[in-house]
Amino acid sequence: MKASFILMALGLLLFLPTASRAEGCLTAGCHDSIRNLARGHQPAADGECLSCHVQTAAEHPVKGSKSFGLVEKGAALCTQCHEAMGKKKVVHYPVGDGDCLACHRPHGTANPYLLEVGEDQSELCFGCHDSEPFKQPFMHGPAAVGACTRCHSPHESEHKSLLRGPVRDACLQCHQDFARQLKTAPVIHPPVQSDPCIDCHDPHASASPFILKNKMPELCFDCHADIGKRLAGAKVRHKPVEQEGSCGRCHSTHFSQARGLLPTDEKSLCLGCHGVDNLGQPPLKNISKQLAGKKHLHGPLEQGECVSCHDPHGSDFFRLLTGPYPEGLYFPYREGAYDFCLQCHDRNLLRFEETSLYTGFRDGKQNLHFVHVSDSRKGRTCRLCHESHASDGEKLISKGGLPFGDWKVPIRFEQTATGGSCAPGCHRPLSYDRQNPVKDRQR
Amino acid sequence: MQQRLVRFIQASGVKALGFALFLSLALTGCATKTEPKIGPVFYPPPPNAPRVQFLKSIKNSKDVEEQKKNFSLFVVGSDTSTDQIKEIRKPYGIAYAKGKIYLCDMQTPDIVIMDLAGKKFETLKGNIGQGKLKKPLNVAIDAAGNIYVVDTARKEVLKYDAAGNFVGSYGKEFVNKPADLAVDATSLYILDLGDSDIKVVDLQSGQLLGRIGKTEGGVQGLSIPTNLASDGKGFLYTTNIGTGSIVKLDKDGHILGGFGKMGKGFGEFVRPKGIATGTENRIFVVDGGHQNVQIFNEEYRLLMFFGDQPNPAGMLNLPASIAVTTENLEYFQQFAAPGFKIDEVILVTNQMGPDKVSIFGLGQMLDGAGSASGSEGEKKDK
Repeated sequence: MKASFILMALGLLLFLPTASRAEGCLTAGCHDSIRNLARGHQPAADGECLSCHVQTAAEHPVKGSKSFGLVEKGAALCTQCHEAMGKKKVVHYPVGDGDCLACHRPHGTANPYLLEVGEDQSELCFGCHDSEPFKQPFMHGPAAVGACTRCHSPHESEHKSLLRGPVRDACLQCHQDFARQLKTAPVIHPPVQSDPCIDCHDPHASASPFILKNKMPELCFDCHADIGKRLAGAKVRHKPVEQEGSCGRCHSTHFSQARGLLPTDEKSLCLGCHGVDNLGQPPLKNISKQLAGKKHLHGPLEQGECVSCHDPHGSDFFRLLTGPYPEGLYFPYREGAYDFCLQCHDRNLLRFEETSLYTGFRDGKQNLHFVHVSDSRKGRTCRLCHESHASDGEKLISKGGLPFGDWKVPIRFEQTATGGSCAPGCHRPLSYDRQNPVKDRQR
Repeated sequence: MQQRLVRFIQASGVKALGFALFLSLALTGCATKTEPKIGPVFYPPPPNAPRVQFLKSIKNSKDVEEQKKNFSLFVVGSDTSTDQIKEIRKPYGIAYAKGKIYLCDMQTPDIVIMDLAGKKFETLKGNIGQGKLKKPLNVAIDAAGNIYVVDTARKEVLKYDAAGNFVGSYGKEFVNKPADLAVDATSLYILDLGDSDIKVVDLQSGQLLGRIGKTEGGVQGLSIPTNLASDGKGFLYTTNIGTGSIVKLDKDGHILGGFGKMGKGFGEFVRPKGIATGTENRIFVVDGGHQNVQIFNEEYRLLMFFGDQPNPAGMLNLPASIAVTTENLEYFQQFAAPGFKIDEVILVTNQMGPDKVSIFGLGQMLDGAGSASGSEGEKKDK
């Protein structure tokens, strides 16, 4: 009982002088503002004024002169209690200068960290840093709300721009959902694999959506220069490239499940737009309808490919074809004019009047492809007999008939073991035979 | 003194001397010829990755038939097996079909038929009477095994059945100077050096169906053509001494293009002769001037050449004709260096030198296999 009484008395003896000193500084209308601060610097709040200040004149207060000074100068004053800074690779300029008070108020503020600003730190940071680049329509979330210290350390860092970690890590600390998907994605855009996100994105603000450093497709052409060059000179451009979203309308920019960074398989992606009735003006054909239920698909389509025939970016040929092919229904064969089809089909298919090699569509050796296509007045293009995407007929020979104004011209092709016949809307019924030429039999 | 010595020998030593003589004669057969061991010969030379290896050569029947053992305790006298060696005198055309090499020997004149795996070395059975050859230049085999021989002295193509019996001839009436030939299921294609064209002949009737390959308009056709190859897909390739080029045409006679010109550069020719096609539409061209074989891809791009490098073996000597096959690869694989996998076998005839037929393997060194080790096959063959 006696011992505890003695301890209480000693405590009171220690406390009383301090309380009386603080009361001496923060009352009597002298330093009243400090006393009313919501978040005071701990020594100030505790009335430990003399931990930072020292009396330099006998009298206090003295009107017109200062009778108290600081016990240390610059950062040395702060490092009495706080750990010294400036040892890391990158140091915030005021910290390096020991100018803690450039950002912090010594006695306290209404906000945390002795700052004049709260969560929106932009006013404080823009006191030194140029605010102009931040005045853009598209802003990174933290930058938009002035949460600069969300990404940057205010004092010092081992990473450039005072970032809290390497650029990618700094980004992925928040974009954790993105990081998780990236880990399991089968196709990843190479820069996304390991390069800093800021290669494509501005970390603060941008005039382009997704805070891209430049708008698409120009940003993409920085690396994909070949496509840019090709597109610049292309007579026909794929519409989405020039529309809002540009490359991103077909490609996933970071990672995807399908090759070519496509969000889905190629055919499905293309049919996403080309599988409707009202695409474009006049409307393009609904390819999904052309394919639906057909027995035979064109080879590339069977493989799920559209780009074998159509350049998805741009081309010098109509319908974005990957080579020359006549636009009209009639065009006499000449070297190069049908190169689009002959990229895959035998180049000699249409060259020779007689052949026993390049086609089964022959009467004896008479090349009936040649007969149709090489007519100097009215050479029939492939599309007059063959569908380009799908058909119920062998060799994609049209079953439903070719739209010819109001009439669907029928082909009525019948195949035999050694030849065949057709009774189209173009000529009288004719037949052919590879082994016993019909032409010879009619003589 | 001399008489005493004679008597001594006659009396006491005659039996021993006779036995010694017998023994020495008998043991003569034990002496084996030693040939220098050589490592594998690859083309292109290091540090390039090896793609062609010289496998073996054929000089005469000894290189094909089972070697007879010379040692005999009971046969005394000359080496009788030497008398049985059948020589190849002046080879030219060569074909490979169903495991057999068919070789034209212009000097004998005969067709040598060699079955390497079966160790048989034979000549054409029907080379008598009406089927007697005068100067066989080139040979082709059809799917049924029938043998077609261009005889440049008889100026016609002779046909023998698979057993070698003479069947008939083609082209006497319309061929000028036959040089080479190709055959498919219905037609015979006779390369006519004199007319610079190819005579297409109906196999059944022997009738001339057409003449193809002539220069027409601005399209360069054949020009003193020496050899012809068919790729089995309807395309023909000819070597042309006149232009130093290769002309490709289809069996309907459409000239589809060509490559090469006179010259000593890569891909150029001095005396283009034998020609053959292989897998992946590769084209093999023998050059009697460069004394090598140049290999081109289907776009006529030179891939490599071999045979003219000064190697311890495999150097071509006035090469003439070529055959390329993917048959019996297992047999030829035994001659390849460890790790070198053969995909195709190339047979080239030499008009000069001891090696009448040089055999090469086209392939590649498998991962992890070195190329420095000696050819087990080559050693085995020796």
